[in-house]
Amino acid sequence: MGGGYIAQQIVNGLILGSMYALVAIGFSMIYGIIRLINFAHGDVVMIGAFVTLALMQVAGLPFVLVAAGALAAGAVVGVLIERGAFRPMRGAPQVTGFIASLAVSIMLQNLGILLLTAQPRNFTFPAALQKVINAGPVSFRVIDLVIMLSALGLMVLVMLLVKRTRLGMAMRATAENLDVARLMGININRTILAAFAMGSALAGIAGLMWGGKFGQIDPLLGYVPGLKSFVAAVIGGVGSIPGAILGGYILGLAEVLFVGLLPPIYSAYRDAFVFGTLIVILLIMPNGLLGSDKGERA
Amino acid sequence: MLKKGLLLLTLLAFALAFVSPAAAGEPIKLGALYNLTGGMSSIDAPALNGAKLQAKLINQAGGLLGGRQLEVIGIDTKTDQKAAATGAKKALAMGVVAGLGYGDTTFVMAAAPLFQKKGVPFVTSGATHPMLPKWVGDYMFMVPFGDDDQSFAIADFTVKKLGAKNIAVWTDNSMDFTKALSKFYKQRIKELGGKIVLEDFFMMGDKDFSAQIARLKNTKPKPDAVFISAIPNEAGLSVKQIREAGLKLPIVSGDGFDTELVTTVPGPKLANDIYFSTHTYREDNRPEVVAFVKAYEKEYGHPPENAFAALGFDAVGLIADAIKRAGSTDGKALRDALAATRGYKAVTGEISYTRPSGVPLKGVSIISVHNGKYKVEEVWMPK
Repeated sequence: MGGGYIAQQIVNGLILGSMYALVAIGFSMIYGIIRLINFAHGDVVMIGAFVTLALMQVAGLPFVLVAAGALAAGAVVGVLIERGAFRPMRGAPQVTGFIASLAVSIMLQNLGILLLTAQPRNFTFPAALQKVINAGPVSFRVIDLVIMLSALGLMVLVMLLVKRTRLGMAMRATAENLDVARLMGININRTILAAFAMGSALAGIAGLMWGGKFGQIDPLLGYVPGLKSFVAAVIGGVGSIPGAILGGYILGLAEVLFVGLLPPIYSAYRDAFVFGTLIVILLIMPNGLLGSDKGERA
Repeated sequence: MLKKGLLLLTLLAFALAFVSPAAAGEPIKLGALYNLTGGMSSIDAPALNGAKLQAKLINQAGGLLGGRQLEVIGIDTKTDQKAAATGAKKALAMGVVAGLGYGDTTFVMAAAPLFQKKGVPFVTSGATHPMLPKWVGDYMFMVPFGDDDQSFAIADFTVKKLGAKNIAVWTDNSMDFTKALSKFYKQRIKELGGKIVLEDFFMMGDKDFSAQIARLKNTKPKPDAVFISAIPNEAGLSVKQIREAGLKLPIVSGDGFDTELVTTVPGPKLANDIYFSTHTYREDNRPEVVAFVKAYEKEYGHPPENAFAALGFDAVGLIADAIKRAGSTDGKALRDALAATRGYKAVTGEISYTRPSGVPLKGVSIISVHNGKYKVEEVWMPK
């Protein structure tokens, strides 16, 4: 087990972590605004992946348009989910929204199976993105680099938006106290819809990345990113966007290093170790690493 | 003119609707239990398509037992073992003469014992655990070969044809099927004097194999081949990532690799030096296979998704053949006729139930993949 081996495993972990972080940003955003644990978030990733497949392989559009399409598709689905499933339940206890999101998730998955069949499909990215880069003992692909950079770029963008724009201010006010924000003349419905659109657009683009990295997509692919981004968000502190990124990286690194450094017989139990880590972190820091302790809603 | 034509058509439709059942007698019902939704649906849905196609062809050719129609009742058990048991009860309550279904042992074990109890034969189209007939009883039949046969076949090939001595084994630790496959493979490799230099594991649904690949790269002595015991979902993913990491060693596997994903996910450049044992069907040009592929394409508009489609087709064919020979749909007579099957020409190879284990004596194809092209290397016969 030389230094090269460990370096490669760390790079592997960072790449996987970027992927989780990308999904977790949107998840955390939605939670931050309306305290909704949105389990359908992972399925928006799936929709983003299929839209990418349709635009790139079937329609043959250039890559920039494909990426724009994945973003738009995510946003549209997010808005539809909010209008259809969550707005009618606003004001209901938190657990109601949680269960509604599970229902939406199962519906989207099985709708996908009915419309697209459960057969996994292959997903080929442009060759330029598939190229392997060798840096000493470590190797990775261009797509991995793109994923890492876009996760960081999107984080900065979302933070700027939340901190610097009027919409962001409205979002923060809504997150702080929905009723007071409404009294202050903020259009609550529009603000929440915007948060859903943005968070889900990020999930849509994550779907593009997911398909590009693994090269295979199916209607059930959203389950894993949905769950992992939830864990990443909890590790980082739900509702905190930098927390979601940090949580994603910790999760990715933990997964790969558990497999890479423990004897192989434990490889299959990577998720057990990961969730174990989650419990340890929550025992020490109940609000996650970067979460605030302001309670449910001020 | 148009009105007259419509009237005629309606009359014709009525005539058909009323006449054909009267002439044919009661339909013969088969209960087809499959997971059409959930995680197993990519394996099970094509199998039900195959089963329905076979029934349709038999009915077009005049049905069974003097013109009775064969009716395949598909029941979705949602990749849930409890639903499998409920589905079995539902099928039995409808008065099916035989059950068929599933591409995985776990679900057969949830449903088949209920058929056994009622004295109704159950034929699994795709579950391959060699102990199944022992576990369930004498009303249990398998269309595919056993996992021991397919593992022995590819192990023989790995050592004798590929000349590999040091072998790495990756196992999906979440399924009975993949664990059994690895167990039999390792057993045969050791018998043949090979050495297992690395054993690594993953779980169904894992997408990222980077950690296992880094370890494979760093294994000493260097493995000459890696055996990957996986189902179709992980087959293409693992090949793609291993090749992308620059590892060129031969990749070997069982029928879990019998999927287009093995070539389409990595692409033709990376889909190289892969060998797997599977049902004698892919790239085969026996008349049964050619006719099946043609009929499937005509019915569903695309070629069969995988071997499970052919296995579902064979399951109904096998039952229909037994009904013909038994001359009745009585459970006991049908069971005896099934057990007496010798040399039934199935799409996935000839089926004879001559072994005490109850597992059919069937050939196993060894398929190679070079630059994204499949080729049959040899057909292995069990002894």
